[in-house]
Amino acid sequence: MLTINLFNGLVYGALLIVMCSGLALIYGLRRVVNFAHGSLYMLGAYLGYSIAMRSNFWVALVAVPAIMALLGVLLDRYGFRLLQDREPLTVVLVTFGLLLIIEDFVQTVWGKSNLSVPAPAALSTSIDLFGTPVPAYRLAVIAVGAGVALGLSLWLKYSKVGLFVRAASTDPTTTAMQGVNTDALSAGVVGLGTALAGLAGVVSAPFLSLSPAMSSDVIIDSFVVVVIGGLGSLSGAFAAAMVLGMVQAIGAVYLPDAAVLLPFVLMVAILIWKPAGFAGSRT
Amino acid sequence: MTIRRIALMTMVALLLGGAVSQLVGSSTVLSLFTQATIYAVFAIGVGVLLRQNGMASFGHALYFGAAGYAVGLILQLQLMSAELAILATLAGLALAGLLIGLVIVRVPGIAFGMLTLAIGQMFYLSASRARGLTGGADGMNIDWPATLFGLSQSTLLKPANLFLLCWTVLVLVVFALSMLLRGRFGSITEAVRDNEERARFIGITTLLPRAAVYALSAVVAGIAGVLSALNTGFISPESLHWSLSGMTLMMVIVGGYKALWGPALGAVVYFLFKDILGDYANHWMAIFGMALITVIVFSPTGIAGALQRLVQGKKAAPAARASHGH
Repeated sequence: MLTINLFNGLVYGALLIVMCSGLALIYGLRRVVNFAHGSLYMLGAYLGYSIAMRSNFWVALVAVPAIMALLGVLLDRYGFRLLQDREPLTVVLVTFGLLLIIEDFVQTVWGKSNLSVPAPAALSTSIDLFGTPVPAYRLAVIAVGAGVALGLSLWLKYSKVGLFVRAASTDPTTTAMQGVNTDALSAGVVGLGTALAGLAGVVSAPFLSLSPAMSSDVIIDSFVVVVIGGLGSLSGAFAAAMVLGMVQAIGAVYLPDAAVLLPFVLMVAILIWKPAGFAGSRT
Repeated sequence: MTIRRIALMTMVALLLGGAVSQLVGSSTVLSLFTQATIYAVFAIGVGVLLRQNGMASFGHALYFGAAGYAVGLILQLQLMSAELAILATLAGLALAGLLIGLVIVRVPGIAFGMLTLAIGQMFYLSASRARGLTGGADGMNIDWPATLFGLSQSTLLKPANLFLLCWTVLVLVVFALSMLLRGRFGSITEAVRDNEERARFIGITTLLPRAAVYALSAVVAGIAGVLSALNTGFISPESLHWSLSGMTLMMVIVGGYKALWGPALGAVVYFLFKDILGDYANHWMAIFGMALITVIVFSPTGIAGALQRLVQGKKAAPAARASHGH
């Protein structure tokens, strides 16, 4: 019982890592908390559903992040860049307006009923893990989360563009003066962040059902994660995502009635201890 | 604003409400007005937090819904009379708001907004999964007694009277907030909002005033929740949902939060607009999403700000000429 729950905690943590790395990247560069991130995740999941129904899951897995990346670049070019001198609250409210529009769009196109996507055939087996059979698909989700975390960390640490991203996250003006095209960089990073939301959507479709409530469910947990981790900190978000996934998994076993409140309790406890989250003080 | 002017405007607003309740015959129109007035109170609660603390709450439905649930539960368990139940609920919300505020106003900037959303949604989830007394996702009826504050229920629930009651509460809330915020409390919270560090340098403790504003806004949202519970006689988790918080924040922004009454204007505009939309109201989310973006980008101070500029523009022009003459 506990093993399978811990395993599911890992799976959910991995999904949150993919979600939150997008949120954190966009925040790092644009100082924008994208309230529409959960809706973009939902849009990704529904797009994935339509593509998977017409061809197959693997096509959706590639096509959706690509479409979402394009959307993200447009969002940056015609949204965030034009609003970059406004107060942060203004931009947040614009993303909130965007959230309402996307939610309405998804409900209009795909309806309000629950939809589901079958796991791809190659992964619909189960694998024996320490004596407990677990679905192979969920193992693959953990692998995706680990891959995203590792890939992003290495990219930011060792590549030249990664260096630019880190520099621009610390001080965009100085970075631009050194000859880095921060507008193009931001467009790329917002595109990447949005693509990650889309990826999370496609990946989640076979193990969570698609419904209009899916965006608010995941964005709430994602917000808890990025706030606990420290806004804009990638490693903080990774750690917090795993902690949240585990806390929910363990809570589901020992405190089933209160499991839904545990993230809240965790968050309050951590914020009393460290108001700026795990990773410190960047705001 | 001088006390005389505030008192004058309050009297005018009260008389206006009395006139509307007598002159409007249609009970559909009156119930639309009543709803708009209740949400105007709610929006003022959210607006005062933004105005005095510079913080946008995405989770104030928590206090709106909690007020309904608290009154409903107290009445169902017959713990005390309905009048006391209302007072106890508001006092409880003030305390809860202060405690939650002490924790979350310390979180800087936009993270605060994210937290309010998360906290509100967690209460929504627990209310919709709760069984027993609160009826879970189905909600619960509120057993109002036959008489409330000396008025029989049938008198109270007549559309004209209910509107007048809600309107009077709205006017009194604006009056009380105007009086409170023109004094020391208003100056301190504005100083803290504009520069917390400098406020600390001049010897102001900054945490408590900010938490107090949060608690104040929670109570105002709770007052709206009680009125709504009286209006509908019913409470469900929908009253705690983030979309309600978001909708109210939208009213605040569209109406304009720099003026105390701006959010109320936003609520009225929202309900009239929604009524006019009629058949298209299914797409209200997209329509209001676009309206929100348009207002924020082109008129960040909202309708109230635009109106004020219009009035002040006319006043300022002669004043400027006069000062040049000296």
